[in-house]
Amino acid sequence: MAIANESRQEEQNMREEHHGAGRYWLIWVLLLVLTAVTVVTGRIHIPTWGLVLALVVATTKGTLVLLYFMHLIDHRGANRLVFAVSILFVVLMLAIPLVDLGTRYRGATPPGSTMSDMQAIDIGADAQEGRYGGGLRKEGKMGEESGAPRQ
Amino acid sequence: MQSSSHAAGGTLPVPRLAGHFASLEVQNHAARLGMWLFLATEILLFAGLFICYGVYRFLFPEAWAAASRSLDLTMGTINTVVLITSSLTAALAVHYAKEGKNKMVAVQIALTLVMAIGFLVIKYFEYHHKFEIGTLPGRFYSYEGIQLPGVPMYFTVYFCSTALHGLHVVIGMVVLAFSMVRALKKADFGPNNYTMVELGSMYWHLVDLVWIFLFPMLYLV
Amino acid sequence: MTPSSSIAAPGATPAPEEHHDHHPSYLVDGTTIKSWLLTVDHKRIGLMFLFWVLLFFLVGGIFALLIRVELLTPGPTIMDAMTYNRTFTLHGLVMIFLFMIPAIPAVFGNFLLPLMLGAKDVAFPRLNLLSLYIYLGGAFIALWGMLNGGLDTGWTFYTPYSAHTTTTVAPVLFGAFIIGFSSIVTGINFIVTCHTMRAPGITWFKMPLFVWAIYATSCIQVLATPVIGLLLCLVTVENLFGFGMFDPARGGDPVLFQHLFWFYSHPAVYIMVLPAFGVMSEVVATYSRKNIFGYRAVAYSSLGIAFVGFFAWGHHMFVSGQSTFAGGLFGVLTMLVGVFTAIKVFNWVGTVYKGAVDFKTPFAYFCGFLFFTVFGGMTGIALGTVSLDVPWHDTYFVVAHFHFIMVGATIMAFLAALHYWFPKMFGRTYHEGWGLVSAALIILGFNATFIPQFLLGNNGMPRRYYEYPERFQALNVASTAGASLLAFGFIIIAMYLTYALVYGKASGKNPWRSKGYEWVSESPPPTHNFVGPQPVFPEEPHFYVDPKKAEVPDAV
Repeated sequence: MAIANESRQEEQNMREEHHGAGRYWLIWVLLLVLTAVTVVTGRIHIPTWGLVLALVVATTKGTLVLLYFMHLIDHRGANRLVFAVSILFVVLMLAIPLVDLGTRYRGATPPGSTMSDMQAIDIGADAQEGRYGGGLRKEGKMGEESGAPRQ
Repeated sequence: MQSSSHAAGGTLPVPRLAGHFASLEVQNHAARLGMWLFLATEILLFAGLFICYGVYRFLFPEAWAAASRSLDLTMGTINTVVLITSSLTAALAVHYAKEGKNKMVAVQIALTLVMAIGFLVIKYFEYHHKFEIGTLPGRFYSYEGIQLPGVPMYFTVYFCSTALHGLHVVIGMVVLAFSMVRALKKADFGPNNYTMVELGSMYWHLVDLVWIFLFPMLYLV
Repeated sequence: MTPSSSIAAPGATPAPEEHHDHHPSYLVDGTTIKSWLLTVDHKRIGLMFLFWVLLFFLVGGIFALLIRVELLTPGPTIMDAMTYNRTFTLHGLVMIFLFMIPAIPAVFGNFLLPLMLGAKDVAFPRLNLLSLYIYLGGAFIALWGMLNGGLDTGWTFYTPYSAHTTTTVAPVLFGAFIIGFSSIVTGINFIVTCHTMRAPGITWFKMPLFVWAIYATSCIQVLATPVIGLLLCLVTVENLFGFGMFDPARGGDPVLFQHLFWFYSHPAVYIMVLPAFGVMSEVVATYSRKNIFGYRAVAYSSLGIAFVGFFAWGHHMFVSGQSTFAGGLFGVLTMLVGVFTAIKVFNWVGTVYKGAVDFKTPFAYFCGFLFFTVFGGMTGIALGTVSLDVPWHDTYFVVAHFHFIMVGATIMAFLAALHYWFPKMFGRTYHEGWGLVSAALIILGFNATFIPQFLLGNNGMPRRYYEYPERFQALNVASTAGASLLAFGFIIIAMYLTYALVYGKASGKNPWRSKGYEWVSESPPPTHNFVGPQPVFPEEPHFYVDPKKAEVPDAV
């Protein structure tokens, strides 16, 4: 019975993919090395490029897991497309709110943040809660809502 | 993916072909593509929290740096190593399933589960410490050591994302446990019938993948 | 590739008549209640979805009528302000999450996708059944929450209000969260079905346009729904524990909530309207007896709308405090959606042009649909302009605009699909005269309901208020009168379709002489859709005229 070419291609890829277990161990070692790299560089707290470096290392690790542990290197076609599209959407979904916040009127950003000229709201003015949104440790006050007035 | 869960029973380790598929290769392809789509939804689920993280980190960089340094980096690193190693054993389980070595499949999944439990235990100690010193989300934050605008928000993001990740660890354990029981009881995994282990393992790798990004974001920035 | 002159659709391997008795239709193959409730047959699942979706449509419609009655007089008419807030919230929630989103994909998509692809079922039949029960479970949790206290936030649950209101936010949000899973499962199922279940001969560019539209819709469902799932959880946590994720007093950004919310909810508009476009592409080709004009353009524009539609979400937030730069960006992206929609409209009109139009009920709905889509789309372009949106924002102009698209386009398509595929689903025909009468009533009633609302909004009447100044009363009364006409039209449809279900004449296999792939099987189809060998589909899906011999075929 005829089937869609896509499935046949997929089956062929899956048949080709079988190989020794050594590859997995190699990837594991690489992942551990990269973890060490990111921990060591992370502890130095490189001022501007620290985050970029951490993300690059994380992306490399993630790519290794995806390609070899999850066999994306063998799953071609739609499987890859699905994954690529989801990553694209994550990136765009992150970029647009950041663009918005970066260009926003400074009065409309959360007070106390770097994008705002206003002081953080001291909701501890009535001595129920501490500054910056945290609660002071007081018995009996933890479970009580004190934000906007309840109806 | 569910269609392959009833084996022909007996000697042949071939999964049953559900009536509506043209052939077994189509059935496997469908299961795998379905799993990738499901993983895509998981990625977008976590993406929502990553965006909260990104936005608030952009807004409160100093608070973020100070708060992330209050976490226990050693425990985080151990957890990363544990999770990466459990990913290795999950991948090896698929490898042995393809070769039909059902005993090894069960052993590898058992190792994965042990490490998963280890991950959760370490996470429990981290959580416990935070409850003690009061680095808790939002209005529950009561840690005197760091008082900066945005720090309670860091812990809101921290707890939401690690809790969601922990939930996925538990779900992944349940999924893998089913494969392990099957490898022990029916022992019918083989070159034509390994989809169940493969999909469970893919889910586990996704859990690992999310942690690979959460770890530097939460502990190292 | 010569046009087939027989009644049967092209390329079909005709089912042997003598075997007909041995393959009862899906409707009578198993008559116990259990055989329906535990079925994995995509057609039965589609019908069960139809039942529930119509029920929830009735519930949402009753809320709509309550709103309209309340707005008959400037002061309080039948309810107090709080009840009014709850009523419009429930109207929105029920109509969007319980009716509009599953309406066409889960009912007609389920029923027709395998038939149109020459498959025996969807890729994951049991997941398909599961999605029905997830949907019902979520629906009942949400309805339980609505009955026990209701919700007064509007269907958008904007923070910080939704995090502080004392009404039952948590169960309703949790219900909506669960319904989201149903949507995801359906989406995954349909995408996998399109990739793996196509019969021999159906290449990607020979899929019927309805399948293309469902495919694009499923992509949106898979990519967008998880985000709202997470967001609903976060708001529930906010409401229960007050973590302050979106609370400005704790450094949170409520606009971020809106970003994440509209990341789902704007594409959700395309979950509602893309299947409608797909239905109309089928209907217009069938009743014009012409090949669809620009098949690839229509197929690609479905994907284009799905993609661009994702990045237009910020036009809901022009006055929410987002940056003017982002506002301009979103304004431009919004207008790109108009480009793709215009391509579709152009191609539909091009299909009708010089066709042999057979003016049956579905075609009447097509005419209404075309008007509503163009009118609603053009007002959408106007609203996508930042400077125009500022005065119009949160007025009845916006309400009328999105009802034109969501009700105008989607309900027209839903009714067209119901009439067009009624013989396919039940093997019976309805009364054509009553069909046209009710179509006329609905299209007129719809215009009478919402055109006054455009005027009201333009005069400055804000939405979500239960009182208004005296000078708005005439238009409000007109709108309520139109809504009554609309309700009357739906009652007529319910009556003659129910009658047709029991007493309707047998329709035969292909009453419309359509060339769509779904008519290759019997009407109603047997349980596994195709009797005998798997059919092959050598011709294109909307193949009425061989372009090389451009002669106009006879009408039905």
